[in-house]
Amino acid sequence: MIGQDQTQKFLKIDDLQAWYTPQKHVLSGFSIELDANEVVGLIGLNGAGKTTFLKTLSGLNKHFQVGTAAWEGQKFSFRDKAFKQARYTVFAEDRSFQYFTFREYISYAAASYGKKLPDLTELIRGFHFEKYTDVLLKELSTGNLKKVYLITAFALRPKLLLLDEPVNGLDFQSTEYLYRLISGYRQFGTVLFSSHILESICLTSDRVLVLEHGRISRCFTGNKIQADTIREVLTDNETAL
Amino acid sequence: MRSFCERYGKNTPFHAVAKQLFGNRYERVTRSLVLCMILFLAVYASELRVQVSPAVLYLTAAVFSAGIMWRALNSPQNAEIFMGLFMLPFNNREMVISYAAAFGGYTLITKTAVVLALFFAAAQWSAAEIGAAVLMACLGCALSAGSYAAVHMHQEIRESISWKAFRRKAPEPKPGKTDSRKRIDAYVFYQPAASHGKKRYTGRKGWILCYLLRYITSNKNYLVNTAGLWLIAGFLPLMLGQFEGLNTLPMGFAILCMNTPICILLSCDPDLEQAVRLLPGQSVRFCGAYGLFIALVNFTGNSVYLISWQVIHGGIGMAEVLTAAGFAAASAALSVFLEWRHPIRGWKIENDLWHHPRKYIVPVVMLLAGTFIGM
Repeated sequence: MIGQDQTQKFLKIDDLQAWYTPQKHVLSGFSIELDANEVVGLIGLNGAGKTTFLKTLSGLNKHFQVGTAAWEGQKFSFRDKAFKQARYTVFAEDRSFQYFTFREYISYAAASYGKKLPDLTELIRGFHFEKYTDVLLKELSTGNLKKVYLITAFALRPKLLLLDEPVNGLDFQSTEYLYRLISGYRQFGTVLFSSHILESICLTSDRVLVLEHGRISRCFTGNKIQADTIREVLTDNETAL
Repeated sequence: MRSFCERYGKNTPFHAVAKQLFGNRYERVTRSLVLCMILFLAVYASELRVQVSPAVLYLTAAVFSAGIMWRALNSPQNAEIFMGLFMLPFNNREMVISYAAAFGGYTLITKTAVVLALFFAAAQWSAAEIGAAVLMACLGCALSAGSYAAVHMHQEIRESISWKAFRRKAPEPKPGKTDSRKRIDAYVFYQPAASHGKKRYTGRKGWILCYLLRYITSNKNYLVNTAGLWLIAGFLPLMLGQFEGLNTLPMGFAILCMNTPICILLSCDPDLEQAVRLLPGQSVRFCGAYGLFIALVNFTGNSVYLISWQVIHGGIGMAEVLTAAGFAAASAALSVFLEWRHPIRGWKIENDLWHHPRKYIVPVVMLLAGTFIGM
């Protein structure tokens, strides 16, 4: 895409509208800015639009309009090849490529991104996935299937990692390992992840964004990122409404 | 004793299954009936009249309905769709009747009615013959539901006996002698995909061709459909060779490209479609391999057809082989284009995909091309 943006934000989206039915917009006047090498948590009630935003950003929702979308200072579209090669998304629910094994899937995904596969030993061990690497994905449980996409995401090391409810379905050991991976990802790129579990966000995020009524309504940073503080503010806000 | 309306009205298993099959407001009932009416009027107005024996009408109504009902009941997605329904407490008999009746209604209204509309418009029938045809269609559905229940109950009895024998370390008794269940258990309609165990595969590369081969060999219906098409390919020269003054060979290639299950890969697996669209470069990498797969399957059918043609009529040379390859490649390219650009959405159960009008686009285009080449 053409055009140079004045501010060199890693990702900048202004005035995004997204909908499934034209009468009801899920996202309305949604704006977000992400810096390079930061971890950003996205919270919101069910139906607030977290998954819709991540799907739209992943180029999977065609019902949207955006005022400005800039990627590393350049205007871009969510389906641009360069942007697609710089991001990977782990969805909350995914049962794709059921007739591949994990090793076949990750090999296919790496080839699609034009990347050579790194050594996966550490990731496989960290997620306790050794027994399932050569089993068809359709035979895996929900939690193990989630691990397939998470290992792929962290192995590919895209500049932008989008995680939708990454903790759901994981056992406690894998959850803790995932927190460490997210926290350590700053050296490779930016993570934007949604979660209902405040603790998971507070443990890992540099910023916490609250999605309400189709837009980002609050932002918590620094020592304000504490589960109790966020919970208290959100509860007060809901009561006021 | 609850009244009929209470048993099969709102908030009942029948209502739940029927809503899943016909849509939240039963919109598919109206849509199907309107389609039947349009078809009937179009054929009737064209004054196209043929002589059809009542036996053919009855047989078509029964066999067609039975086949569609069988496929609808055997759809691998049913277990996932109706899992929540089978989790709830229910009356066994009510559930069996509701489930079979809803699927029967779906078959008769959305599929059989279309075929009957064509028959009724193209020939003169008495009211008794029309009534008998509808009755035969209902009978076909009932037979399918009964056969489905019998097959699965037999399997469950065998598994149960094997398990008991294993637990007691006793020799396996003959089925039927130890367990004489006579009532149909509603859970026969809940058949989650059987796990083949955590079989290990040593492959390291993610080949889409290998993926598609596993996909098609894991689904019995898809295999049967493909094998059936290749069988038809063997007999097709007998029918097509009869036309004089027209080279009918290319028309066979057009007919043989109608392999529906391999042409609805993305439509029937929305997760796969999402994942493929998420990864970069898939319009070449994935679609290329997918197209090659369809072309290979189509070319295999075309090869059977060519061999049969050579045996029956002779005269097959390099030009015919190249034409077969060309048709296989063109139909594959068109099928992949439709799946990539216009996947089928809004379907309720897998059976809807098998009978979606889109499936006729590629064969019709190929048939026109075949006729043009054959002239």
